[in-house]
Amino acid sequence: MIDDWIIFLLLFLAPVVSSIPIALAYKSKGWTEKLPYLSVFGIFVSVLMSLYIFFVFPENQQYAYDWIPDLGINIVLITDYLSRYMGVITAVIAFFIAIYGLDYMRGDYRPSWYWFFFNLFTASMLLVVYSDNLFLLFVGWEGLGAASWGLIGHWFRDDDEIAYVGVPKRKVGPLELSWPPSFGGWRAISTIRFGDVPMFFAIAAIWVFTGNLNISEINWESLFLNIGAAGTVILLTLFLMGLLTKSAQVPFSEWLMTAMTGPTTVSALLHSATMVAAGAFVFIKISWYIKPWELHHVPGLNYVYLFALFIGLISGLYGALAASGMLERKVLLAASTMSSLGLMFGAAAASYWIHEEVMPGINLALLVAFWYMAVHAFAKASLFLVSGHLIHATHTRFSVGALEFGKRMKPAFITTIIATTFLIGMPPLTAYWVKSGMDEVMEHLIHPIGFLPLILLILTSLVYAAILAKFLSLNFIKGEKPHHEHLEGGGLMKLGYGLMVSMLFVLIYLIFTRTETAGFVHAGFMPTSFAVGMSILVAYLIAIYKPRMTSFAKLGTFFNDRMYLPFVNDYIFPKTGFFVSHLVQDYGNRGIDGFFNTKVMPGLFERISKGIRTIQTGYLKTYVQIVLGLVMIFLIIAAIGGMRI
Amino acid sequence: MLYFLLLPLIVAFIAPLLRPKGATYLSSAAFLIPFFSILYCIFKGCPSEIHLMNFSPPIGEIYLNFDFISNAFGLTICIVSAMVALFALPYMKHRFEEMECDAESEFRKYIFLYDLYAVSMLWLVYSGNLILLYVFLEITLITAFLLIYRYGYGNRKWVGLLYLIWCAVAGVLTLAGFIIIAFDPLNNTLALKGITTVGMLAWAFILVGMLIELPVLGPHIWLPWAHAEAPTPVSALLSPLTVGLAGYVLLRIALIDYSFITTYRMPILGYAIFSSIYAGFSVFKQTDFKRLLAYSTVSQMGYVLVALCLGPFGLIGLVIQYMSHAFGKSILFSSAGGIIAVHHGLRDLNKMGGLHDSIPAISNAAVVGFLNLGGILTIGMLGEFFILRGVVDTFLRPESPAFLGWTGSLPIFLAVIFMFILSVWYGFWTIRKVFYGKPKDTKRLEISRYFYVPLFIIGIFSVLLLFPPLSTVLIQGLNSIPSLGLGGVVP
Repeated sequence: MIDDWIIFLLLFLAPVVSSIPIALAYKSKGWTEKLPYLSVFGIFVSVLMSLYIFFVFPENQQYAYDWIPDLGINIVLITDYLSRYMGVITAVIAFFIAIYGLDYMRGDYRPSWYWFFFNLFTASMLLVVYSDNLFLLFVGWEGLGAASWGLIGHWFRDDDEIAYVGVPKRKVGPLELSWPPSFGGWRAISTIRFGDVPMFFAIAAIWVFTGNLNISEINWESLFLNIGAAGTVILLTLFLMGLLTKSAQVPFSEWLMTAMTGPTTVSALLHSATMVAAGAFVFIKISWYIKPWELHHVPGLNYVYLFALFIGLISGLYGALAASGMLERKVLLAASTMSSLGLMFGAAAASYWIHEEVMPGINLALLVAFWYMAVHAFAKASLFLVSGHLIHATHTRFSVGALEFGKRMKPAFITTIIATTFLIGMPPLTAYWVKSGMDEVMEHLIHPIGFLPLILLILTSLVYAAILAKFLSLNFIKGEKPHHEHLEGGGLMKLGYGLMVSMLFVLIYLIFTRTETAGFVHAGFMPTSFAVGMSILVAYLIAIYKPRMTSFAKLGTFFNDRMYLPFVNDYIFPKTGFFVSHLVQDYGNRGIDGFFNTKVMPGLFERISKGIRTIQTGYLKTYVQIVLGLVMIFLIIAAIGGMRI
Repeated sequence: MLYFLLLPLIVAFIAPLLRPKGATYLSSAAFLIPFFSILYCIFKGCPSEIHLMNFSPPIGEIYLNFDFISNAFGLTICIVSAMVALFALPYMKHRFEEMECDAESEFRKYIFLYDLYAVSMLWLVYSGNLILLYVFLEITLITAFLLIYRYGYGNRKWVGLLYLIWCAVAGVLTLAGFIIIAFDPLNNTLALKGITTVGMLAWAFILVGMLIELPVLGPHIWLPWAHAEAPTPVSALLSPLTVGLAGYVLLRIALIDYSFITTYRMPILGYAIFSSIYAGFSVFKQTDFKRLLAYSTVSQMGYVLVALCLGPFGLIGLVIQYMSHAFGKSILFSSAGGIIAVHHGLRDLNKMGGLHDSIPAISNAAVVGFLNLGGILTIGMLGEFFILRGVVDTFLRPESPAFLGWTGSLPIFLAVIFMFILSVWYGFWTIRKVFYGKPKDTKRLEISRYFYVPLFIIGIFSVLLLFPPLSTVLIQGLNSIPSLGLGGVVP
């Protein structure tokens, strides 16, 4: 038992502890150049531990340790199907990105901050992945929030245009569509917190009604039946708030776009295996144990899953369309990530209507969502790392690069080709098999819901293929010639994305060899899936040939401006908030202050005091007047009293 | 244990004899020793009370009370007082230079008042008799008044008097409530363990008095003046420790007789939430950093009052909320003080921005402070969790007398949720405004370690408190108090 705990402690604490020295040595230039290797080593330890857990630890085993046992808050970890895979994915991706980061962040002005929060980020995600106790999960969850804030706002000086999102000084109506890093950090944590507290409330409610916080042990059915339809809908919606904000689903997607102000390594980690993936991961995990497909008799549950399904699919289409108008490398990828996460949410929510279990306890829809997350993680991380290298090489965040440039950046070029083709779902590459599974899931929904989910999925997939092709084409084939080329060095960067993209081959191997994924392969040989796959390929090729369509420029601008969703985030919310603050401060506080402290009350006391002091005149006349007045009052009172008698 | 509590009291009289550095170390040690002894008590257990003397009714027995509630408050007071004492060493030197007075002799007066102020708060939370509690309440008031009056900023004499008057009114109302309790024939005593009932009238007096001290919307208006103009080490005790003690008094009274809260739960809760959100919005419009923090205190004290209305889990939440706010706010006020000392009196938010470059350590400490207030990765998380659980317990459990159902209580819990969200919003908004953005000066300043090391010690402690073994013993201990924990008498 003790040995198990050492493994887990190393898994979670090695990244954090190994980054403390660099955090403390922030003043010394010499040390901050050497200590990043220690931080990377810490993540490497996590990789080893996650692999050990994957290969050695028994499946579906719970590891519990007392925290506040009287109240059911405990450190409970679980090695179920999801966490075993996701743990390895997280640790490996973080490790590759960290290697890349050694090169990418060299010479940065605050390495201590970067490495501390990078490692905290990784550790927090690992905690979310392995924890079975909702409170413990939430600790990791908040760690993700805090670390993402630190990393997105890493370049806090806001002095380098290359770290901005949007075109500086570009205005649409009252909105300035440009965001500095320190703002990106604030936007991230404020949006996330908007969902986290409702989620925390939902956890508290689960705690009250079940007396247990372990996801795998909670009797979800009796919980939902106990709190009724309204309770189920409210509880799960509040819980979903946390997941949807974290995963940047509509309408909470803005923070993810402005999060591109962070270093590219951060974007890569944020978009693949941590943070945004955490939202979808927890949704998959919680549905895994709720088993909604068995709970059709629970009132209210269907509304929640319907809601999640459409939020996911609409976000999928929204993200893909928004990306289609974008030219900023990272923001384009960010919008496409949002789209992918939407598909994960949609697929996972479809589990309510899917009764098919590929293996005992494993629902097809959830499995599809999870595998899509895995493929997406490696592919998207590779693309981000490439775009980081491109930003270094060309000194601009906008897509530029012609074929000639592409030839000189061969590793990046090849990585991009592999990552995009493997991700969009063209036959017979990795994502095709998973996407075929997804097609099958959405086909199942035709009967209970209609054609809409399938249509949304196919539309999203087509646009998605086009935007990734556009990314490839504009950066390596048909883009403008870069003004500046800086091609030396970057060995570790190339190593980082090379390793990352090679993992996609491992995944395709796994899909063909694992028993639970046999369904994907089967779905891949269906004619409909093949037809969808081929149309994706066509969309991809067309977009490579013609990445920019000038006749649609206006529509492109509309998409590039995220269909004016920033209006809500940058105008309505802050204006309302500051108006309330204005009322509260300039009328409320000033009024109360004037009443009690500065004007009314002190004035009143002064007047009373003056009145009393005027009595002390010494004139006999005054005193006689007062006495006579009092006598008169007494007589009047006595007279009235007497009359009563 | 008694000797450990006497230690800082004795030191308060010895420290003025020493030079500033020695006096500071002595004062700090005098609070750290009780801190560790309380920690020992929490882990190993201690006698639950110490008898001091007996008075004739209606005063009754005077004793010291060592349950987990007092220990939790005492722990907080000790660590914060010890660390702020260290922080004050360079800060007060700077202040005396600014005031152009003889630093050494002024420091003697200052350290005496400071120690007395802090130790009276410590004794307050261990007082087992309401009259003793009242005496210490008044000592904190007078010492804090003198500190503001002598060493404050701006119109300090006026502000000092303002503070004195408001808190004297609060104190008198509370005393009136205590006296009504004492003369109730059912009690005939002021010893906490002897009081069996608190009448509605007594409750009303104490509540109003403590709402002024806490403070909530309306009376809150004294607080921004006092907190902003007090010398920063005093702000760093006044805001984290003193005002929250009103919550402590209310908690003690609530543990004796909770019926007042159950009767008037909705108006008090509504007022508390409104007050907290109101103050949260006020934060965004402040231009003075210390005033901003003062409004945030009002907002946080709203949490305390909300927690009071939410049954046993809410009351546990109250204790934890007090702790997390104390840690966070002492760090934040000290970092504000650090900015004042390092940047020559800089307090205006409009002139700040990009300060992280010149004082990274202070900036990072402030982040930890706001994490505490927002309940992220610190003990504050548990506080929020217990308060949220209190909401569910009170309004959503069918067996609760205040049951409203899911749709009926939706506005309540949405309001509470928003209240929590607001803290993080203004917190990180402030961080960005003060420390990030285009720096005016990228030169890193060499600053005294006293300005940040104590703050990080508080910060580390607040993180450790979230995890075992500290949280295990503390929360289980609080939960084991018969009238507080599960199945207690508090409905």
